[in-house]
Amino acid sequence: MKKYICSVCGYIYDEASGYPEGNIPPGTVWADVPSSFVCPLCGASKAEFNENENEKAKPAVSSTSDSHASLPEDISYTAAELSALFSNLAKGCEKQYDSEMADLYKELAAYYNLKSEKINKPDFESLKSLLQNDLSTHFAMANDVAAGQHDRGALRALKWAEKVSLMIRSLLNKVESGKADFLKEKNVYVCDICGFIYVGDEKPEICPVCKVPGMKMTQVGRSA
Amino acid sequence: MHAVRNIRLCTKDCLCLYVCPTGATDTETGQIDAQKCLSGCRLCVDACPSHAISLVPEEYPAQQETSGDVKKALGILSKSKTEQEIAAYEIEEAAETPRAKQLAKAIGMSNRIMAEDLLREAGFMLPQSGEVLKLLNSLVESETSEDFPAAAAEKLIQKLRKINASMKEKTMSKTTDNLLEAFAGEAQANRKYLAFSRKAEQEGHLNAAKLFRAAADAETIHALKHFEVAGKIGSTIENLKSGVEGETHEYKEMYPPFVEQAEAEGNNAAVRTFTFAMKAEEVHAGLYQEAMDTLDNQEEVFYYLCPVCGNIEKVVPGKCPICGVSGEKFIKY
Ligand code: SF4
Ligand code: SF4
Ligand SMILES: [Fe+2]
Ligand SMILES: [Fe+2]
Repeated sequence: MKKYICSVCGYIYDEASGYPEGNIPPGTVWADVPSSFVCPLCGASKAEFNENENEKAKPAVSSTSDSHASLPEDISYTAAELSALFSNLAKGCEKQYDSEMADLYKELAAYYNLKSEKINKPDFESLKSLLQNDLSTHFAMANDVAAGQHDRGALRALKWAEKVSLMIRSLLNKVESGKADFLKEKNVYVCDICGFIYVGDEKPEICPVCKVPGMKMTQVGRSA
Repeated sequence: MHAVRNIRLCTKDCLCLYVCPTGATDTETGQIDAQKCLSGCRLCVDACPSHAISLVPEEYPAQQETSGDVKKALGILSKSKTEQEIAAYEIEEAAETPRAKQLAKAIGMSNRIMAEDLLREAGFMLPQSGEVLKLLNSLVESETSEDFPAAAAEKLIQKLRKINASMKEKTMSKTTDNLLEAFAGEAQANRKYLAFSRKAEQEGHLNAAKLFRAAADAETIHALKHFEVAGKIGSTIENLKSGVEGETHEYKEMYPPFVEQAEAEGNNAAVRTFTFAMKAEEVHAGLYQEAMDTLDNQEEVFYYLCPVCGNIEKVVPGKCPICGVSGEKFIKY
């Protein structure tokens, strides 16, 4: 009997024990698990699971060796990045209870938001191809660089973002395969801390990716 | 450091109101009055049963360095994530079904959070850091757009400049503290080795005596240099003033309780050495004061030092008025 691990949240499906709560009896081999199965913890689809040899999660993205080649020459920020940079500093000021400084950063964030370059008629498909690029090359390279510098903070941010990206890809895959109905009767939550998107009946107790308490997850409403 | 209250956790009715010595916790806004809060007293923090109060530092240490390559690598992703954010919000706007809108919106929010986190780790962690200051400066320089919120940016720059300057000052004054501590240590070592050298001489260990003297002189060299670098050597008039202050403090405030304590403990040798020093310091203070008043006086003055108690006289006395030793023992300067 084998085990399969969710690449988003680390949940392990054990063929020996199955998932009786979801009507999958003990002893059900992975191939027989219905394709509609989603991770009981984080909601990722069956495709996000990897076979789990030696009880250890495979890295979701394999590491490339000569990835440094594609680092840019210098550091520059787009307007959209500056907006995110300043909105994050505003959050930092709020943590310090400095609302005056937070407001100043928010003003800058709003300005750069307006200045951000628009994208020509995007759709879910083009969004997915941007995401696919991150998952197939960007994360691997960034992980290599951060690991080389022993930058644990950067590795942490990359790990969370990679998992969140996998989750988004899994959602976009459902859209693509015409299962747009998957949101029906479900609620959508976004983790304020890591960005994880949870689709389900109720808010999880903790975020499956960053483990922050559920009160830090914001419900995304649906306009009528 | 001052106390702040997490309004969401506070039950608004209890212990911090009783324990705060200044009434800072009792305000109509529900927040603690930072002006009234004593720096770092934390009585309310420890008393609060809801863990609703914490202390917020006024200053933060400099940020950890992030390597340039890590910044670049994270930058590739923050660029990509912000692009996806924009794409998602545009999809949201154009989408026809409420569910597609909802999903697109969630993806937009998610990408913003990821981008923020990546940029934070790319060297923009602390809102007050020198890195942010540098970035703001370069933006102000290059921004030409009319609607750029220049006033907000300027205000931030002013604030960050002030914070960063005071941070620098703090680190500098830390070194001054260290210099003075080293000065005290070296000065003490000098006297200690001189005492050891005398002892070695008495016991006939002349080489050891010599080594102790040389080492004592070495510590003097260190001590003098530390003191000089710390900027504590002024003009002679300033130095005389510092002498008066030091001696006065010793004979008025430092020694009297020492003498009392030694008497209470019945330690006669200590009573004696403290008393001699106390009385001698008083004389020294007077002599420094006199020297200040007559600094421009060219006429040569001689000083005579009592080798037993450290008293200094300008005329050799029959016997020392402090310790009674014969005037013949006095050393001329
Ligand atoms: S830290 Fe002390 S002074 Fe400040 S609010 Fe709390 S109890 Fe009052
Ligand atoms: S002690 Fe804590 S819970 Fe009680 S009023 Fe003060 S802050 Fe609120
Ligand atoms: Fe999962
Ligand atoms: Fe999270």
